[in-house]
Amino acid sequence: MTQVMQPETGPQGQVAMVIDLNKCMGCQTCSVACKVLWTREEGEEHQWWMTVNTQPGKGAPKDWETMGGGLRDGKPVAGHQPTRAEFGGGWDFNYQEVFYGGKGNKTHLRPIDPGDGTTQWGMNWDEDQGGGEWPNAYYFYLPRLCNHCTRPVCAEACPTGAMYKRREDGIVLRNEDECQGFRFCAEACPYKKIYFNYEKNISQHCIMCFPRLEEGVAPACARQCPGRLMFVGELDDKTGPIHKLVNEWGVALPLHPEYGTGSNIFYVPPLAPYKLNDDMSINYETPRIPPEYLESLFGPKVHQALATIQSELDRVREGGSSEILETLIVYKWLDLFGPFTADPAQLDRKPESVAVRFTQKSG
Amino acid sequence: MRVQRVSGELGDPAASGWSSVEGESVALTPVPLDAQPTEYIRVKWAGLPYGNVKEAKVAAASDGSRLYVRLEWADSAEKNAEFADAAAVYFPAGADAPAGTMGSADASANLWYWQANLADAKSFVASGPGVFRQRGSNGVGASSSNENGGWAVVLSGDLADAKSGGKLGVAVWDGSNEERAGIGAATASWVTLEIE
Repeated sequence: MTQVMQPETGPQGQVAMVIDLNKCMGCQTCSVACKVLWTREEGEEHQWWMTVNTQPGKGAPKDWETMGGGLRDGKPVAGHQPTRAEFGGGWDFNYQEVFYGGKGNKTHLRPIDPGDGTTQWGMNWDEDQGGGEWPNAYYFYLPRLCNHCTRPVCAEACPTGAMYKRREDGIVLRNEDECQGFRFCAEACPYKKIYFNYEKNISQHCIMCFPRLEEGVAPACARQCPGRLMFVGELDDKTGPIHKLVNEWGVALPLHPEYGTGSNIFYVPPLAPYKLNDDMSINYETPRIPPEYLESLFGPKVHQALATIQSELDRVREGGSSEILETLIVYKWLDLFGPFTADPAQLDRKPESVAVRFTQKSG
Repeated sequence: MRVQRVSGELGDPAASGWSSVEGESVALTPVPLDAQPTEYIRVKWAGLPYGNVKEAKVAAASDGSRLYVRLEWADSAEKNAEFADAAAVYFPAGADAPAGTMGSADASANLWYWQANLADAKSFVASGPGVFRQRGSNGVGASSSNENGGWAVVLSGDLADAKSGGKLGVAVWDGSNEERAGIGAATASWVTLEIE
């Protein structure tokens, strides 16, 4: 049996995130921050380790929630290997034709179809479609990255032992020299956040910006987010906002807890406005986002989480105060980042300490 | 299996040196499910057919320092956009290495690996089905051709790998069936080599 490699001694930790969906505006700045930093090399064109999908929606890869993987009663569940077409993206465009072919007034910029289905889907293909019907249409945004699970089924599935969970911070990593591109990890991952590099014949996924964390800098997605909604820190730091939001107040929940892997990315679920009746009066009994839909994403605890946030809002509106809301508001930007508040621009750069191996794009 | 010493070219499947080398048909069987190294793989492939390639024609020759093994098998006409066909020859690194599982945790095999979509062959230490670790660059090479609905592949490497155990195993993976790692077909027992 292949074991997850990790040192036997030393402090054990788990870096976690809380993402407040009430503040996410779907700007994809996190996605682009990650893209620019990590997936610009050959074979990574279609890779978006951070994605923001509109919910309800099919997401990325297309229909990922139907692809299996994860655990049931502690046992692995068979999963589907997402195809290149299901991820989509990584397109080349007809720049030559539009800008240099003398047809600038006749042709439009469009992706060149390589015939493999990749131009029929992408990381935010169904953006802003959402659900419901006017006047009760609704949607919200769901940023997703590797969940750096407490039980990483990806690493457990790997026959070569290329993947491991770091003891000191719980980040799930891959030794790219030992990865042989067999992709059992991608099948086993219930969140379908592992991508295949067809050029290098290896799988790749979010590394939680560990070279940044090691120098006290927050991950790029969190630091670049203009909405002040991505908390980063040690899950068990009882003085930090993540522990309070997750364990003390119960207002931040893992996505699809039924997948059984113990996600370490937590979400503050979205409160919705009330439904409108046919005569446009407000139906105070019914939220516009169906609670059962939210339960399908975040489990049954979502109802209590939303009730807690609502009661905190009500109290503040009546002149009271709320530590939960004060925390979620994030008056000071750096309060988001726990021990990772260093400014990357001010670092004494030590490129030799960066252990991630990437090669220069050829040609 | 006789490993003839040949002076002609052997580096690719159509090379002239192979005209004088007799091959033999070797039976391949699915690598046992219960020997698969992770629970996920055993769960996923329980009840699914794999090990689609039932036999391969195998020939071996050397130039005195390098061993060349030529494999030929009928390939499924179906193609899979995600997974490529692959093949390997392997040799016991210790006396007790099992053939049908490509070595074991206690007794590994040295495995030369070819995959249709990769430019270079790979050299692995195999410690079980798909439990492959890079062995470093030790001159393993491959050349292939796909004609008439079948693959012909020549894998080559240091003759010393074969001499130490005097035995050879063969594995073939059908990419159209998403076969890879331990999910494939292999020789259930070693093929004894008579190296000239």
